[in-house]
Amino acid sequence: MAHSQDTGPAPALPGWFLLLQQGVDGITVALNVAGTILIFLVMLLVNFDVIGRNFFASPISGVPEMVSMSIVAIVFLQIAQAFRKGRLTRTEAVLGFVEKRAPRLRLVMDIIFALGSALLIWQLYAASQPLFVKAWVRGTFEGTVGDFTAPVWPVKLIILIGCIALLVQLVMFAASAALRLVAGQGARP
Amino acid sequence: PVRADDMTVTIVAGHPPVFRWVKHASQTFIPAVNAALEGTGHSITWSEQYGGSLAKVGEELEAVEEGLAEIGLVSSLFDPAKLAPQNVTYFTPFVISDSTVVSEWMDKLQSSNADMKAAWEANGLEYLGGAIGIDDYLLMTNFPVNSIADLEGRKIGAPGPAVNWLKGTGAVGVSGNLTTYYNEIKTGVYDGVIVFASAALPGKLHEVAPYITKVGFGAQYAGGFAANKDWFDGLDPAVQQALRDAAAADRVAYHADLDASVAKFLGIMTSQGATVTEVDDAFRQQWASGMDNVARVWADKLDASGVNGSAVLKDYMDTMRAAGATPVRNWDQE
Amino acid sequence: MTPFEIGLTSFGVMILMVYMGFWVPFALMLSSFGGVWLIKGSPILAGKLLALAASKTISSYFFGVVPLFVLMGYIVSVSGMGRDAFDVANHLFRRLKGGLGIGTVGANAIFAAITGISIASAAVFTRIAVPEMMRHGYSARFSVGVVAGSSVLGMLIPPSLLLILYGLLTEQSVGDLFIAGVLPGLTLAFLFGGGIWLTAHLNPGALGSAQDADDIPPLTGRELAQKGLPLGLLIGLVLGGLYAGFFTPIEAGAVGCLGAILIGLARRSLSLRDFWEVLNDTGLVTASICFLIIAAQMYSRMLALSGVPAEFGSFVATADIGYWGVILAYVALVIVMGTILDSSSIMLILVPLMLPVLATMQVDLIWFGIVTIIAVEIGLLTPPFGISVFVIKSALDDPEITLGDIFRGAAPFALLMLVLLGLVLAFPQLATALI
Ligand code: NA
Ligand code: NA
Repeated sequence: MAHSQDTGPAPALPGWFLLLQQGVDGITVALNVAGTILIFLVMLLVNFDVIGRNFFASPISGVPEMVSMSIVAIVFLQIAQAFRKGRLTRTEAVLGFVEKRAPRLRLVMDIIFALGSALLIWQLYAASQPLFVKAWVRGTFEGTVGDFTAPVWPVKLIILIGCIALLVQLVMFAASAALRLVAGQGARP
Repeated sequence: PVRADDMTVTIVAGHPPVFRWVKHASQTFIPAVNAALEGTGHSITWSEQYGGSLAKVGEELEAVEEGLAEIGLVSSLFDPAKLAPQNVTYFTPFVISDSTVVSEWMDKLQSSNADMKAAWEANGLEYLGGAIGIDDYLLMTNFPVNSIADLEGRKIGAPGPAVNWLKGTGAVGVSGNLTTYYNEIKTGVYDGVIVFASAALPGKLHEVAPYITKVGFGAQYAGGFAANKDWFDGLDPAVQQALRDAAAADRVAYHADLDASVAKFLGIMTSQGATVTEVDDAFRQQWASGMDNVARVWADKLDASGVNGSAVLKDYMDTMRAAGATPVRNWDQE
Repeated sequence: MTPFEIGLTSFGVMILMVYMGFWVPFALMLSSFGGVWLIKGSPILAGKLLALAASKTISSYFFGVVPLFVLMGYIVSVSGMGRDAFDVANHLFRRLKGGLGIGTVGANAIFAAITGISIASAAVFTRIAVPEMMRHGYSARFSVGVVAGSSVLGMLIPPSLLLILYGLLTEQSVGDLFIAGVLPGLTLAFLFGGGIWLTAHLNPGALGSAQDADDIPPLTGRELAQKGLPLGLLIGLVLGGLYAGFFTPIEAGAVGCLGAILIGLARRSLSLRDFWEVLNDTGLVTASICFLIIAAQMYSRMLALSGVPAEFGSFVATADIGYWGVILAYVALVIVMGTILDSSSIMLILVPLMLPVLATMQVDLIWFGIVTIIAVEIGLLTPPFGISVFVIKSALDDPEITLGDIFRGAAPFALLMLVLLGLVLAFPQLATALI
């Protein structure tokens, strides 16, 4: 299937791999749930601000800052699951054609693409890591002293966590295609 | 020093060139550098990246620090954590309304005040000068303001640090954004905003908030030119001097332009139906004394984090008093 | 290679990767990483550009409420409000051929008055309208095409994030720009509606085997009220609150979301399980779209460093081709850049370049803004990088409908946008009459 990484590994994959995939997926889903809850909290926060401002003459300080930090956190908490669920956009035209004519070539393409992406995400991780360290060491914050301030390091940390989770899913994706290639199978049924 | 015959220099600003300080980067700073380098054997090919094409507002500092750009118009206003001492003006309202004076002295303080200097260096930057002064902030409302009591329960949009200025007035300060002020006053989300004249006219804010009250919040310092320190340190001293001189020339030209526009803009808004009122000393005194001492809160917080905020506050206030300002409230002496 | 050549090459490589089936965000990121590496001669610097864009691109209040708009649409859909509203629309338009398609355009025009971003419109109506249209026999390609096409109304009819950005770039009054967008927005809605109506008459096969409305029993007055009221209430709440000044367009997503939840609970048509599922789905759509936008921003920063867009822009700006030559060349450049760049990047790069030229030609900047927005928004629908199409694909989660299907379905609507662009160019009054 071109569209989804979630059709589940073919039964022929070795047991240790399935177990590993299960563990990785568990962590991915946990991050996903955290992001989902964050969306709900953002909704409540904005509504409390609107109600507070209009009916109690007391808006909540720092809502724009909290919301803009949350969206970054939400995206990086969920990106690994979005990949796992096949939600990252790709065109299927050539892939589908290759899959019909040469299913093994399709597997090779998937392996190359996933490993290339993994290397790229590693670069992103490596370059984001100092940004987290700086935010932590210097106590960088968003907002205004005297009104509202919030530290930025948690968001920078979530970016790192999201990168690692995505990286692991990319490697698992490549590994599952490689195992299938070795076993002489085509792409997933 | 590195021998550089021709080098490419990327200059970055988060705001687009319609903002006066960006326009002058392009029309004053760069030509001044080029002119100074003529005949020195050095020349610069400029890659001008404004308006968010390379870095958004508030991202300029990191872009220069990381080396993606060599020079940036770094807005300390939008980096209140990393350039904390530079934001002293926003925590000391009612000190001075002349942006030219504020800028000239803030530029000097960037090298004479140890904590201000250290803030740039901690971020891997070399401050070049070219302070971006912001003209006297105004209160613009859709209702007349004759006394502070008129503000009771009114929702006033203000840029981040200026929300503090509204505390103690009875008004509800809402942290807002210049780009949406017009719409939000029009629909009634805000009853007014705190804004400066050189932004109010282009945004046509006087159409929806025609009561302009000169409360005397004062002029502000919002940032200046800074270069990547590693890069700057490797430059020929002649080039370094050319950059500093150009930044100084830029500050003068920008503020002359700013002063001329402010008077003109207030006139245009009046002719288009706005009412400009200057409050009396009693009003100003009442407002200032009703506020919390945000400068103290700010300085204490800096002190606790290892930056000598109290010293910065005192240094700034002393400098302004020496320059002839008569602060409505001496924030540092309470 | 000069930076200019690197920029052009990276462009070709990126297109190739996308068509080969590389994930689009990774293709954008990889070509920008490679591009910056070559331009600046340092992989470390290239990585830093990626990292800065990742942490800053979407870090704003505007983007922060994107998931809330999406969630509102999903709740409307899962609680049956959307289906009911479509039954009402079908009833009202039952005499019109292609009525549901026209109804979707109309609903989008109304929703455009609530949201300031097209991606919200696209995500919301993918969930509400596509299943309903397909339930009534429209082809998948036509159904997604209508949604993709009418999502552009979100940016043309105020409030509009792009018009705010344009106002900021050119010092034009955002209020004037908003008013100027109204007539072109309505015109576009009429063009879309008329186009669907004509197609239904002249070439009904293009819409699929849409059921004749005669097959559907008409609704009684009571049923109409029961089905129409909940969604009417929600729209009233959001529009009313917006124009009464209770909340801003940014906050409208959150208020609408809470409103939809409360209405769903009151109707007992929103279970906790459904709610959790759509909340979760909202996160996945948000993540994939925002990740794409981050990648697009990395790519556009690399291009900015290469100088390619500036070079083309100043070519147009300085070419000695007269007033209409400049305007038409600009429009063409915007449309071409729209195939690969996101809307705001195109404006950030091109508009400041054009301003000095426009000043010498006495161009009405409000009119020019509307022209720019329409041209930029065509890019939402054109391959290989068409963000509305990507949003639909991501929100749909249906492997049977390919990206190609959506692009093809959207193509007629992109053509109608060209028609609107021609109209606004020929009759500037369309933009300026109401101001
Ligand atoms: Na809209
Ligand atoms: Na496109």
